[in-house]
Order: sequence, then structure tokens, then C-alpha cells
Amino acid sequence: MTPNGAFAVGIILIALGMSGPGPRGLTVLVALTLAFAVIEVRGASMIALRRAIVIVLPLAVFMSLVWIGIVGESPAQIAADAVGTRVAALVYVAKLSGRLFLIVAVVQLVFLRFDKLTPLQLVRALALPAAVKRMLVITLSLIGTLRHAIDRAHIALIAAGTLTRTPSLRNVAHSWRLIQAVWLSAVTIMLGRMRDKWPVENTIARLDDTLDNGKPPLFTGDDRIWLPITLGAAVVILLADRVGGMS
Amino acid sequence: MASRQLISGPNFSGRSAALMALLHDGKFAPESFYIGPYSEAALSGLTSTIADEIDLYRAKTASLGRAAFSPPDLAAFNQREPQTLSGGEQVLLALHCFSLSSYPALAIDTALEQLDQQNRDAALDYLDPRKNLVASVALIDNRLPPPLVGWTCSERAADTIEFDCDPRRLVADLPGQKAPTIAIRGLQFAYHHGKDIFRAVGLTLDGGNAYRLAGPNGAGKTTLLKLLVGVLAPNAGELTLGGERYRPWRHGNRAIALATQNPDHQWCGATLRDDLARRRAAFARWADAASLADGRMETLAAALGVHSLDAHLYELPLAARKRLSWLWPLSGALPWVMLDEPSIGQDMATRLELAAAIAGLTTRGYGVLFVTHDDDFAERIPHRVLAIGDMQVKAV
Repeated sequence: MTPNGAFAVGIILIALGMSGPGPRGLTVLVALTLAFAVIEVRGASMIALRRAIVIVLPLAVFMSLVWIGIVGESPAQIAADAVGTRVAALVYVAKLSGRLFLIVAVVQLVFLRFDKLTPLQLVRALALPAAVKRMLVITLSLIGTLRHAIDRAHIALIAAGTLTRTPSLRNVAHSWRLIQAVWLSAVTIMLGRMRDKWPVENTIARLDDTLDNGKPPLFTGDDRIWLPITLGAAVVILLADRVGGMS
Repeated sequence: MASRQLISGPNFSGRSAALMALLHDGKFAPESFYIGPYSEAALSGLTSTIADEIDLYRAKTASLGRAAFSPPDLAAFNQREPQTLSGGEQVLLALHCFSLSSYPALAIDTALEQLDQQNRDAALDYLDPRKNLVASVALIDNRLPPPLVGWTCSERAADTIEFDCDPRRLVADLPGQKAPTIAIRGLQFAYHHGKDIFRAVGLTLDGGNAYRLAGPNGAGKTTLLKLLVGVLAPNAGELTLGGERYRPWRHGNRAIALATQNPDHQWCGATLRDDLARRRAAFARWADAASLADGRMETLAAALGVHSLDAHLYELPLAARKRLSWLWPLSGALPWVMLDEPSIGQDMATRLELAAAIAGLTTRGYGVLFVTHDDDFAERIPHRVLAIGDMQVKAV
């Protein structure tokens, strides 16, 4: 399977999740996602699920507290000025969390499918215009820059006795100083690169050369199996709950 | 024909600007690979793996047929992210990337000063015009005085004395100090998912002495400094300070004034006044607050060439920021002073004065731990050597 095929499948799965399928559609969608996970991603699927839980669980707990615990009714009931129930609020939170879980899990599965590729190799393999690929790499590099800036700011503030490495009240009190130091560091790191290294080397042109992979076929190999299956399943998912009166 | 340009002269004589002018006018080479003084200008910043960094620069079409410059630990680099490499390792990786690239020329601004002697010799050997491995090279290096065989040297003179600096003036009036002994027992440390850097390390550092941490690039010299100030927490082992248990990673640093290799890793504010105010607040319980008042610190900063505490740190030239990074350690604020490559980027005169200032600290009872690859600089400070290697730190 190519990254193009995996990303196309991933986008379709996410779009279907966002379309709010009914019980039958949802069953097909979950089955298809699981099949993709088991066949294409295999053992690493557990990592994707674990990461999705770690990301979504805190949000789900927070939403439960607000909607079930405090508000006690669903947004639809509020809009309709109907009598609210906590069960409706629970269903609302469950649907929202489920959708978010699916999106995060699918994104993780798609990236883990290609965990043997380096980020640059993955972007190179995508059938995207050069400018989009370049933007993608530069945007991803900002994550690295930010991590580097956080590291720099940590060193400065811990060595200066302002913060501690382990969690402490002192860290909470001075968190704004950390944010300021990270921001200053990130800006100066970027300025340093853009002022000296990149103009002298014409580094961005090198990046374009590195990302250029000619014009390989858009979809090959297993893409030609997965894409028809996914598109067919999409039709089933969209229609399943409309046929027979369920919607 | 190999072209070699060595741009020499004192700090603030416009060497870096001259290097940039050379690179931009197109006569030196149509395009050059650039290795700047610190990591932000050594690596591209566009990649998150070593393989991608190499891939980015690897020649795509025609090869120049250049021999590859391969650092001895290149295979081990591949397990790490570019940003986690030490300063010297980043320079080695950058040289490796250049050697695989199609750039006809290489420009280096003081970066070779970060290399240990073996790697530095290998790098200079690679650049030797008689070997003809690289077409054109422009170099700034404070430890490489002209004349060099085969190199065209352009000596630059400072028209005016900017950032006039004498670090000896900082320590001249320091009162005596009695730095407590730092003892390390059974220290074990490894970075996340990495191999052990230290294993069962035992070490005693007595106040009133200077210790030089010596070892190859990537051995863990900076890591040990980070452990001692609490930036990193050991996986096992314990520290004592003056005989009492000391856990700076949990309770905060209270005894060590650190000057980092890259001065920009040490600022706590945008201006010197902000930076010092935050340090004063943090160390109010442990340091003599009156001695750290703005008036005195302004006088000390002036001795390092910066005459206003309102100077915006990031607007100062790099060499001036490096000098200013000595202010906190040399102010006598804390009993222990740790300096990571303090002489990098500094001209000979300033290095000699800094060495004298550091020696002055120990005679006043402060404890000093420093890292340098500059033997000439180290020899001017009476010190003991602590050799790092094979996951151990041993007094030599």
C-alpha cells in the first residue's frame, strides 16, 4: 500500500465518521477500520488505540462532567426547549467522544502504517504539489523547533533556580516565564536559521529537490484493493440506516 | 584548484560579516554549505531524524566525487534525533552532510572549536588544501592562528573597541567563599530509550578547586553538568552537598551557577535586568541578595562590555552574549561555578583573561567545574582532570 492510498482510505474513514452514521453504518465503519488496522498496521494497531485513548479520555471525562454532571441535558434538548435528561446528555457525549476517538485512531493508524519511513520519505511519497509538500515539511519542522525551544527554556529556568525538573508548585507559579522563554527561544532559533543558514545554502531549494519523486502512479498495489472496498463500504454506511426506516 | 580562506582577527572585527559578504558575492562559490557557531546554524532544522538530515543534503544528481567525512560514531547517531546531539556531534554531522552534498564550497564560523582534539584534527585534515578533498573553504577559527600552509589569510583589525571585556575585574573584589563538597554516589543515567551515559559513577568535588571535564564529543560532559544543576534527574544514585542529601531536580538548584555552551540556553528574560531579577528572586534564600543588586551587577556587566542592564540580550552579537553568559557565574552569587565550553568564539586575549578570572575564583574558595576542548585555555587554570568515557567519570 502506498502513502497516497493509506491517506485516501484514512480521509474517507474520517469523513464517514463525521457523517454521523446510525448503528448499522457505525458497525460497518468500525469493522472496516478494524480490518484496516489488523491487515495493514498489525501489532502497531495497539499503539494507535492506546494513543487515541490517552488523547480522547481526558476530553471525554471533562465533557461528561460538564454535560452529564452540570448541564444534565443534551444540546439538542436545550435547542428544542424540551425536558432534558442525563441519558440524552450521556448519548451526546458518547457520540462526540466516539467520533473523536475514531478520527485520532485513524490518523495514528495511517501514520503507523508507514513507521518504517522517515518523515521526509513519507512526505516525498505523497502525490502532492511541491509547494504543499514544502509547507508540510516546514510546518512539521516547527514541532521540532518548539521542542528544542522548550528544552532550551527548561535548561535556562531550572539552572537559574526558577523551575524544578519534577512537578512542583514553583513550576505552576512560574509557568508564564517558561512560556515567555519558550517563545523567545523559538523565535530566535527560527530567525537564526532564516538569516544565516538557509539563504547561504539555499536550503529550501534543496528541500524541493529532496521531496521531488518524479511522477509515480497515484495508487498502486494494495491501494487498488483497499480503495474500492472503502468506497463500497462508504455507500453501505451512508445507506444502511436509511434502508428499513432507521436513520 | 582548492581555495582556502582563513578570516582571522579579534572579536568584533567583522569576521562573521566578512564571511557572509564572501558567501553572498558569488565569487567565492555559486553556493556554499554553512556551519554556524551553534546548532541553529549547523543543521538545517527541517528534519527530525539523522537519516532525513543526511538525505536532505545528499547529492541528487551529479556527485562531486568527494571523499565522505565520516565521524567515528556516525552509526550511533542514527538512533538519535538531530536536536539531541551534542554541539560537537552536530558539527560532525554537518560536515558529514556537506561531504555527501553537491555544494562546491564550505563555510565554517568558529564551529570547529566545539570539536574534541581528535575530531578537530580529522576535520582540519579533511579541509587541508594539500589533500584537495574539498574545493573551497572559508573558515573562522579562534584557535587556528595564521599563517597556515595553503590558506589565504585575511587578518581583520578592530577599528573601535566594542564590548571591551576583562572578566578578571569581576572576580577581583569577590569575598572569600567556602564551597561545599559535592559527592556523587552510584550515579546512573540514560536518556529516554537511549543507552546508558553513566553507570555507577562515584565522584567527589571539593570546593576551592577547579576540575576540567575531559572526553570526546558526545561522551556526556554537558549531561553531567545538567545532572548536577537539576536539569536532568538520574535514574539511580545520589548527590550530597556539604554532606547533606541534594536533589536539585526535585527541590531546585541552589548551589551552582551554570554558563551553558550556547549562551542562549541560559537566559531567563529578554533583557539582562529581567534575567538577573529572576535569578535574584530564585536564589534569594541561598545567595547574598545585596551583592546581586542591580548597581553592582551593572558594574560587573560593564566589565564584560555591556553597559546597560536594559540591553536586549538577543540583539547583542553572539560573542558579546557569550561573554555576558559569564556574568552570573563570575559574580560570586553561588559557591559552585560550572562553565560549559566558556572560551568558544572568543579571541586569544579574552580567553587568557577568562582563564585568569576562573583561576581567581578557586583561590577565593569557589568550586569550578569546566568543560573545554581548548588545551591552551585549560592549561592556564590550575585544575584536576576528570575523564569521561565508558560510562564512567574518573579523576586522572
